[in-house]
Amino acid sequence: MNTTQTRLDNPALFAILSSLADNKQAVGRRYAYWCNGAPALEAAVAAAAMTQDELGHARTLYPLLDDFVQADPVQVVPETRTLRYHLAYLDHDFAGWSDFVATNFLFDTALTTFFEAAQNSTYEPLRQRSRKIIQEERIHLMHGEGWIRRLGKSGGSVKRTLGASLAALWDETLCWFGPNDDTTMHNLYQAEIIDATPDMLRSRYLQKIMPTLTSSGFAVPAILNDQQWEASEVLPWSRWDSVTRRLGGEREHGL
Amino acid sequence: MSETDIHAVVPTTPTQQGTPDIVWHVYARRKYDEPLHEIGNVMADDVELAKVYARSIYDEFSWVEMIIMPRASIVTVISS
Repeated sequence: MNTTQTRLDNPALFAILSSLADNKQAVGRRYAYWCNGAPALEAAVAAAAMTQDELGHARTLYPLLDDFVQADPVQVVPETRTLRYHLAYLDHDFAGWSDFVATNFLFDTALTTFFEAAQNSTYEPLRQRSRKIIQEERIHLMHGEGWIRRLGKSGGSVKRTLGASLAALWDETLCWFGPNDDTTMHNLYQAEIIDATPDMLRSRYLQKIMPTLTSSGFAVPAILNDQQWEASEVLPWSRWDSVTRRLGGEREHGL
Repeated sequence: MSETDIHAVVPTTPTQQGTPDIVWHVYARRKYDEPLHEIGNVMADDVELAKVYARSIYDEFSWVEMIIMPRASIVTVISS
């Protein structure tokens, strides 16, 4: 419990840190299940390494919540936290390896896109953590890209299953950045805590993932417009909760 | 040797997904005054996944250098 230093009063930063910590924790928990069940021994070891990384990222983020006047002591510790600011997709265990790959490639990369925008943050604790997290996430992206290519080459039902997992996670991942008038993200942008608006973040993210998806033959709702990838369908903002940054409605499993 | 050549020549092991894996030998060293030595191998169908696996599996030391090489690139000088 922070009893000595002055607490910060920044609801937007508190909200996004809560979401980042909960999502890292949830991703780590879902990855952990596959340390024994991955389709290859090497993939199981990689899953274990990534699990450690994700849970470690969560462990470095939760303590920051205690620095804010918005903090409830029960809610800043993962063991007692009852709020769930992670994606609805992560509410349940992965139905198969394809869900793991989709989360690794789509959602983990989305969070990394945010951390990249915070590398020069005016909020020093986030700046420090972002630089470290980005270093560790490089290998996670390599893993995700490798499995997208691998399952894409397999074709048939294997490829279709991964396609379904990607489709199930797509909207909620793109929504996580918020609509372009999202108050939380705009407050962070104006305070130079991050260096991009929601649309800029989404654009950076799509530039990163689309080459792998298209070269592996996966169709997602994105189009190339004047050499920039954009979402080609309107995102379901009516189902999106701006506090929890989750999509409402039932999640469809990859299988 | 290109990746295409590797897939054409190397005896590979089929995976559950039906995509053949390549065996990659992993070499590393802990100090700059040591030579690179083989520490094991990994199986992956592309070089990027092989790099991920090598780093994840062989992380018991703080290596100053690690390389991987496909088994097909090994040239026998004296056969056993």
